Amino acid sequence: MPSIEILTPKSLNDILGILSNQNRVLRIIAGGTDVVTGLKQESNRFINTEVLVDINRISEVKGIEQRNGKISIGAASTFMEIYKNQIVSKELPILKKAVATIGSLQIRNRATIAGNFVNNAPCADTVPALLVYNATIEIESINSKREISLQEFLQGPYKTQLKKDEIVTRINIPVPPKTFVGDFYKLGRRQAVAISRITLAVLMELNENKINEIRIASGAVTPIGTRFAELEKFAAGKEINNDFLKTLARMLGEEIIKLTGLRWSSEYKLPAVQQMFYQLLKGIERGSL
Amino acid sequence: MELRFKLNRKEVKVVVEPYIRVIDLLRDNFALTGTKEGCGVGECGACTVLMNGKAVNSCLIFAAQIEGSEIVTIEGIANGNELHPIQKKFLKYGAVQCGFCSPAMVLSAYALLEENPNPTEEEIKDAIAGNLCRCTGYKQIIEAISESAKELMAH
Repeated sequence: MPSIEILTPKSLNDILGILSNQNRVLRIIAGGTDVVTGLKQESNRFINTEVLVDINRISEVKGIEQRNGKISIGAASTFMEIYKNQIVSKELPILKKAVATIGSLQIRNRATIAGNFVNNAPCADTVPALLVYNATIEIESINSKREISLQEFLQGPYKTQLKKDEIVTRINIPVPPKTFVGDFYKLGRRQAVAISRITLAVLMELNENKINEIRIASGAVTPIGTRFAELEKFAAGKEINNDFLKTLARMLGEEIIKLTGLRWSSEYKLPAVQQMFYQLLKGIERGSL
Repeated sequence: MELRFKLNRKEVKVVVEPYIRVIDLLRDNFALTGTKEGCGVGECGACTVLMNGKAVNSCLIFAAQIEGSEIVTIEGIANGNELHPIQKKFLKYGAVQCGFCSPAMVLSAYALLEENPNPTEEEIKDAIAGNLCRCTGYKQIIEAISESAKELMAH
């Protein structure tokens, strides 16, 4: 392990002060499940790191609360804290299901939600869930504070809007109306401690037999976590039946190929993702009717 | 840095580089070699210790991050020379073969039973999903944990 200074600031202001002075190569560390392995494996993302700023003891980036119709999740909340939280269990079941699939218990006890998406790895399991919930993220630096949608934040593979002097402090999610139902599916090589090959999240509102609104997001199988706006628009107002769901699944596959191009794995992944999506929609339909 | 934390229920103080990993701190500075390194990247779970009661991978935590925390290793589980009931059940049910995964497996079981004294088989499997064992096929381990739960519940 390279020799690195580790700072453990006691307040958000201290962190912002440290981040504003970029004479040395700084990195934020929370759970460390990405940072420590990245350093050990000499990943380009962490090369030349001189200082790690540990944010685990900062109350502004911890805790989960609900107010004014929004659920606010501290950026350094661990997956286990999210999994066990009553607000999340009640209002954000898709996120709960997504965090339950991550790593192992040991990883979930340490790894944090912002750590999952802040490097914009395509396989981040919370991203499709956060995307269908229309999550926004709060970002602070010493002299600015902004809130943008997660979708805008995620610019390209391993690329985000985050500037060097900024930190993600909170993830905010509008409480979904009770009429919305959804689900999450992850396909990895095995059940536990698996990097996702395909993830899908769906959140929708049905009116009788019709789709009022549907939100569809993918991860791992697309270059970054992605929403499918055209498909969502196409599906709104349509009657839900087997033929239509099959059409929708076919179209999702086509949209994904458009984003990724044909790859050596497409022959396997295309039918897999279409079938997964169809089964996901059928499950939601069965559960809600 | 001067690091203070609680190790196996005793306050300890040690001068270390902040960037050494907790597994190295335990093995090299405290000679607690029951904590094993398998993969070193959080996949095998052999380095599991309890941090404030929760199972964590000690290969993924820097020394500076445990300041003021409570760490329990396999050496802190037995009561003197008397093995902990979970350790006894591991022996009785053949859950130990080569033994490399056993310290971590026992700690994962310990953390589970502290929080959930009467787990289902699925809950046991989930609690040890991050602990690889290449000998037993897990069946004996799951049985040993389930039998430990019964014994601990009875007391």
